[in-house]
Amino acid sequence: MVIAILVLLGLGALFGLFYYLNSKTPVPEGCEDLTAECEGCKITSCAHNPVLKQSKGENKE
Amino acid sequence: MANLFTLFISAVLINNVILSQFLGVCPFLGVSKNKSSAIGMGAAVTFVIFGASILTYGLYKLVLEPNSLEYMDLLSFILIIASFVQFVEMFIKKFSPALYKSLGIYLPLITTNCAVLGVALDNIKQGFTFPEMLVYSLGIPIGFTLVLYIFSTIRERLDAADTPVSFKGNPIALIVAALMALAFSGFAGLV
Repeated sequence: MVIAILVLLGLGALFGLFYYLNSKTPVPEGCEDLTAECEGCKITSCAHNPVLKQSKGENKE
Repeated sequence: MANLFTLFISAVLINNVILSQFLGVCPFLGVSKNKSSAIGMGAAVTFVIFGASILTYGLYKLVLEPNSLEYMDLLSFILIIASFVQFVEMFIKKFSPALYKSLGIYLPLITTNCAVLGVALDNIKQGFTFPEMLVYSLGIPIGFTLVLYIFSTIRERLDAADTPVSFKGNPIALIVAALMALAFSGFAGLV
Protein backbone atom coordinates (compact mmCIF):
# COMPACT_ATOMS: atom_id res chain seq x y z
CA MET A 1 0.00 0.00 0.00
CA VAL A 2 2.83 2.38 0.88
CA ILE A 3 4.58 1.59 -2.41
CA ALA A 4 1.34 2.22 -4.32
CA ILE A 5 0.98 5.65 -2.73
CA LEU A 6 4.64 6.45 -3.39
CA VAL A 7 4.33 5.43 -7.05
CA LEU A 8 1.21 7.59 -7.45
CA LEU A 9 2.81 10.56 -5.72
CA GLY A 10 5.95 10.17 -7.84
CA LEU A 11 4.00 10.05 -11.11
CA GLY A 12 1.79 12.95 -9.99
CA ALA A 13 4.86 15.00 -9.12
CA LEU A 14 6.44 14.12 -12.46
CA PHE A 15 3.33 15.33 -14.30
CA GLY A 16 3.23 18.51 -12.19
CA LEU A 17 6.90 19.19 -12.93
CA PHE A 18 6.54 18.73 -16.70
CA TYR A 19 3.33 20.76 -16.74
CA TYR A 20 5.07 23.62 -14.91
CA LEU A 21 8.16 23.48 -17.14
CA ASN A 22 6.00 23.33 -20.27
CA SER A 23 3.92 26.32 -19.23
CA LYS A 24 7.13 28.29 -18.48
CA THR A 25 8.69 27.47 -21.87
CA PRO A 26 8.07 30.38 -24.26
CA VAL A 27 6.10 29.65 -27.43
CA PRO A 28 8.30 30.02 -30.56
CA GLU A 29 7.88 33.11 -32.73
CA GLY A 30 5.08 32.79 -35.27
CA CYS A 31 3.31 30.06 -33.28
CA GLU A 32 1.43 32.35 -30.87
CA ASP A 33 -2.00 31.88 -32.41
CA LEU A 34 -2.04 28.33 -33.76
CA THR A 35 -5.60 27.07 -34.02
CA ALA A 36 -6.85 23.60 -34.85
CA GLU A 37 -9.15 23.23 -37.83
CA CYS A 38 -11.87 21.80 -35.65
CA GLU A 39 -15.57 22.53 -35.68
CA GLY A 40 -16.04 20.77 -32.38
CA CYS A 41 -17.22 17.38 -31.22
CA LYS A 42 -19.01 16.23 -28.06
CA ILE A 43 -15.81 16.57 -25.97
CA THR A 44 -16.36 20.12 -24.76
CA SER A 45 -13.48 19.91 -22.25
CA CYS A 46 -10.97 19.80 -25.15
CA ALA A 47 -9.00 23.07 -25.38
CA HIS A 48 -9.67 23.29 -29.14
CA ASN A 49 -13.45 22.98 -28.97
CA PRO A 50 -15.05 26.19 -30.33
CA VAL A 51 -17.59 26.07 -27.49
CA LEU A 52 -14.87 27.31 -25.11
CA LYS A 53 -14.02 30.28 -27.36
CA GLN A 54 -17.70 31.21 -27.63
CA SER A 55 -18.21 31.05 -23.86
CA LYS A 56 -15.05 33.19 -23.28
CA GLY A 57 -16.36 35.77 -25.75
CA GLU A 58 -19.74 35.87 -23.98
CA ASN A 59 -18.01 36.33 -20.61
CA LYS A 60 -16.04 39.33 -21.96
CA GLU A 61 -19.22 40.95 -23.24
CA MET B 1 10.53 -12.90 -37.21
CA ALA B 2 7.49 -14.18 -39.13
CA ASN B 3 5.43 -13.76 -35.97
CA LEU B 4 6.49 -10.12 -35.69
CA PHE B 5 5.60 -9.48 -39.33
CA THR B 6 2.18 -11.09 -38.82
CA LEU B 7 1.67 -8.98 -35.70
CA PHE B 8 2.58 -5.83 -37.63
CA ILE B 9 0.19 -6.55 -40.51
CA SER B 10 -2.50 -7.47 -38.01
CA ALA B 11 -1.99 -4.21 -36.07
CA VAL B 12 -2.08 -2.05 -39.21
CA LEU B 13 -4.94 -3.61 -41.16
CA ILE B 14 -6.89 -6.28 -39.29
CA ASN B 15 -7.07 -4.91 -35.74
CA ASN B 16 -7.07 -1.34 -36.98
CA VAL B 17 -7.36 0.97 -34.02
CA ILE B 18 -10.10 3.14 -35.56
CA LEU B 19 -12.11 0.84 -37.78
CA SER B 20 -11.90 -2.34 -35.73
CA GLN B 21 -11.32 -1.25 -32.13
CA PHE B 22 -13.18 2.10 -32.45
CA LEU B 23 -10.55 4.02 -30.49
CA GLY B 24 -9.40 7.53 -31.43
CA VAL B 25 -12.60 8.35 -33.30
CA CYS B 26 -12.58 12.00 -32.09
CA PRO B 27 -9.37 13.01 -33.96
CA PHE B 28 -10.48 10.72 -36.81
CA LEU B 29 -13.49 12.97 -37.39
CA GLY B 30 -12.00 16.24 -36.12
CA VAL B 31 -8.64 16.30 -37.94
CA SER B 32 -9.53 14.71 -41.24
CA LYS B 33 -10.70 17.78 -43.13
CA ASN B 34 -7.52 17.96 -45.22
CA LYS B 35 -4.52 15.78 -46.03
CA SER B 36 -1.82 17.92 -44.39
CA SER B 37 -3.65 17.98 -41.04
CA ALA B 38 -4.16 14.22 -41.25
CA ILE B 39 -0.47 13.56 -41.84
CA GLY B 40 0.53 15.99 -39.04
CA MET B 41 -1.82 14.33 -36.58
CA GLY B 42 -0.71 10.86 -37.72
CA ALA B 43 2.98 11.71 -37.20
CA ALA B 44 2.31 13.15 -33.73
CA VAL B 45 0.21 10.13 -32.70
CA THR B 46 2.84 7.70 -34.01
CA PHE B 47 5.56 9.37 -31.99
CA VAL B 48 3.51 9.62 -28.79
CA ILE B 49 2.08 6.06 -28.95
CA PHE B 50 5.51 4.56 -29.58
CA GLY B 51 7.20 6.57 -26.81
CA ALA B 52 4.36 6.18 -24.30
CA SER B 53 4.18 2.41 -24.92
CA ILE B 54 7.87 1.95 -24.11
CA LEU B 55 7.51 4.01 -20.92
CA THR B 56 4.32 2.31 -19.72
CA TYR B 57 5.64 -1.18 -20.54
CA GLY B 58 8.84 -0.41 -18.64
CA LEU B 59 6.92 0.95 -15.65
CA TYR B 60 4.66 -2.11 -15.57
CA LYS B 61 7.42 -4.71 -15.89
CA LEU B 62 9.97 -3.00 -13.63
CA VAL B 63 7.84 -1.35 -10.95
CA LEU B 64 4.20 -2.47 -10.88
CA GLU B 65 4.59 -6.21 -11.52
CA PRO B 66 7.45 -6.90 -9.08
CA ASN B 67 5.52 -5.05 -6.33
CA SER B 68 2.17 -6.73 -7.10
CA LEU B 69 0.64 -3.39 -8.07
CA GLU B 70 -0.89 -4.56 -11.36
CA TYR B 71 -4.25 -3.03 -10.40
CA MET B 72 -2.67 0.44 -10.68
CA ASP B 73 -1.94 0.12 -14.39
CA LEU B 74 -4.76 2.37 -15.64
CA LEU B 75 -4.07 5.20 -13.20
CA SER B 76 -0.31 5.16 -13.61
CA PHE B 77 -0.50 4.89 -17.42
CA ILE B 78 -2.72 7.98 -17.60
CA LEU B 79 -0.18 9.96 -15.59
CA ILE B 80 2.74 8.64 -17.67
CA ILE B 81 1.02 9.54 -20.98
CA ALA B 82 0.02 13.02 -19.76
CA SER B 83 3.57 13.66 -18.48
CA PHE B 84 5.10 12.39 -21.72
CA VAL B 85 2.91 14.67 -23.85
CA GLN B 86 3.86 17.66 -21.68
CA PHE B 87 7.54 16.76 -21.99
CA VAL B 88 7.36 16.30 -25.78
CA GLU B 89 5.53 19.62 -26.19
CA MET B 90 8.12 21.42 -24.06
CA PHE B 91 11.00 19.74 -25.89
CA ILE B 92 9.86 20.65 -29.40
CA LYS B 93 8.87 24.17 -28.29
CA LYS B 94 12.44 24.68 -27.13
CA PHE B 95 14.48 22.86 -29.77
CA SER B 96 12.41 22.70 -32.96
CA PRO B 97 10.05 25.63 -33.58
CA ALA B 98 9.39 24.41 -37.14
CA LEU B 99 8.22 21.03 -35.84
CA TYR B 100 6.17 22.78 -33.17
CA LYS B 101 4.46 24.84 -35.86
CA SER B 102 3.38 21.70 -37.71
CA LEU B 103 2.68 19.33 -34.79
CA GLY B 104 2.21 21.57 -31.75
CA ILE B 105 -1.47 22.07 -32.26
CA TYR B 106 -2.14 18.32 -32.24
CA LEU B 107 -0.20 17.51 -29.07
CA PRO B 108 -2.92 18.62 -26.59
CA LEU B 109 -5.44 16.60 -28.63
CA ILE B 110 -3.33 13.47 -28.18
CA THR B 111 -3.67 13.61 -24.39
CA THR B 112 -7.38 12.95 -24.86
CA ASN B 113 -6.79 10.32 -27.56
CA CYS B 114 -7.88 7.04 -26.02
CA ALA B 115 -5.89 5.09 -28.64
CA VAL B 116 -2.68 5.94 -26.74
CA LEU B 117 -4.02 4.49 -23.50
CA GLY B 118 -5.64 1.61 -25.38
CA VAL B 119 -2.33 0.50 -26.91
CA ALA B 120 -0.51 0.80 -23.56
CA LEU B 121 -3.12 -1.39 -21.86
CA ASP B 122 -3.25 -3.82 -24.80
CA ASN B 123 0.52 -4.40 -24.58
CA ILE B 124 0.03 -5.65 -21.02
CA LYS B 125 -3.25 -7.50 -21.52
CA GLN B 126 -1.94 -9.51 -24.46
CA GLY B 127 1.26 -10.45 -22.63
CA PHE B 128 3.63 -9.16 -25.32
CA THR B 129 7.38 -9.57 -25.05
CA PHE B 130 9.49 -6.42 -25.53
CA PRO B 131 10.07 -6.89 -29.33
CA GLU B 132 6.38 -7.72 -29.84
CA MET B 133 5.41 -4.62 -27.88
CA LEU B 134 7.67 -2.47 -30.09
CA VAL B 135 6.18 -3.88 -33.31
CA TYR B 136 2.59 -3.58 -32.06
CA SER B 137 3.17 -0.01 -30.80
CA LEU B 138 4.50 0.96 -34.22
CA GLY B 139 1.86 -0.92 -36.25
CA ILE B 140 -1.17 0.53 -34.47
CA PRO B 141 -0.32 4.23 -35.07
CA ILE B 142 0.73 3.46 -38.66
CA GLY B 143 -2.73 1.93 -39.15
CA PHE B 144 -4.23 5.04 -37.52
CA THR B 145 -2.29 7.33 -39.88
CA LEU B 146 -3.19 5.23 -42.93
CA VAL B 147 -6.92 5.32 -42.19
CA LEU B 148 -6.81 9.02 -41.25
CA TYR B 149 -5.06 9.85 -44.53
CA ILE B 150 -7.45 7.77 -46.67
CA PHE B 151 -10.42 9.31 -44.86
CA SER B 152 -9.07 12.86 -45.37
CA THR B 153 -8.69 12.31 -49.13
CA ILE B 154 -12.27 11.06 -49.30
CA ARG B 155 -13.53 14.03 -47.26
CA GLU B 156 -11.72 16.50 -49.51
CA ARG B 157 -13.62 15.03 -52.46
CA LEU B 158 -16.87 14.97 -50.47
CA ASP B 159 -16.61 18.74 -49.94
CA ALA B 160 -16.83 19.21 -53.68
CA ALA B 161 -19.52 16.55 -54.15
CA ASP B 162 -23.21 17.33 -54.44
CA THR B 163 -24.42 15.62 -51.26
CA PRO B 164 -27.97 16.18 -49.95
CA VAL B 165 -28.15 19.02 -47.41
CA SER B 166 -29.09 16.74 -44.50
CA PHE B 167 -26.05 14.54 -45.19
CA LYS B 168 -23.48 17.33 -45.45
CA GLY B 169 -20.63 17.35 -42.91
CA ASN B 170 -20.49 14.72 -40.18
CA PRO B 171 -23.44 12.51 -41.31
CA ILE B 172 -21.84 11.64 -44.67
CA ALA B 173 -18.44 11.35 -42.95
CA LEU B 174 -19.85 8.76 -40.55
CA ILE B 175 -21.41 6.82 -43.43
CA VAL B 176 -18.01 6.83 -45.20
CA ALA B 177 -16.35 5.65 -41.97
CA ALA B 178 -18.85 2.78 -41.72
CA LEU B 179 -18.15 1.75 -45.33
CA MET B 180 -14.41 1.90 -44.65
CA ALA B 181 -14.87 -0.31 -41.58
CA LEU B 182 -16.75 -2.82 -43.75
CA ALA B 183 -13.95 -2.73 -46.34
CA PHE B 184 -11.27 -3.21 -43.69
CA SER B 185 -13.14 -6.17 -42.20
CA GLY B 186 -12.24 -7.94 -45.45
CA PHE B 187 -8.62 -8.04 -44.29
CA ALA B 188 -9.63 -10.42 -41.47
CA GLY B 189 -8.84 -13.48 -43.57
CA LEU B 190 -5.43 -12.17 -44.62
CA VAL B 191 -3.43 -13.60 -41.70
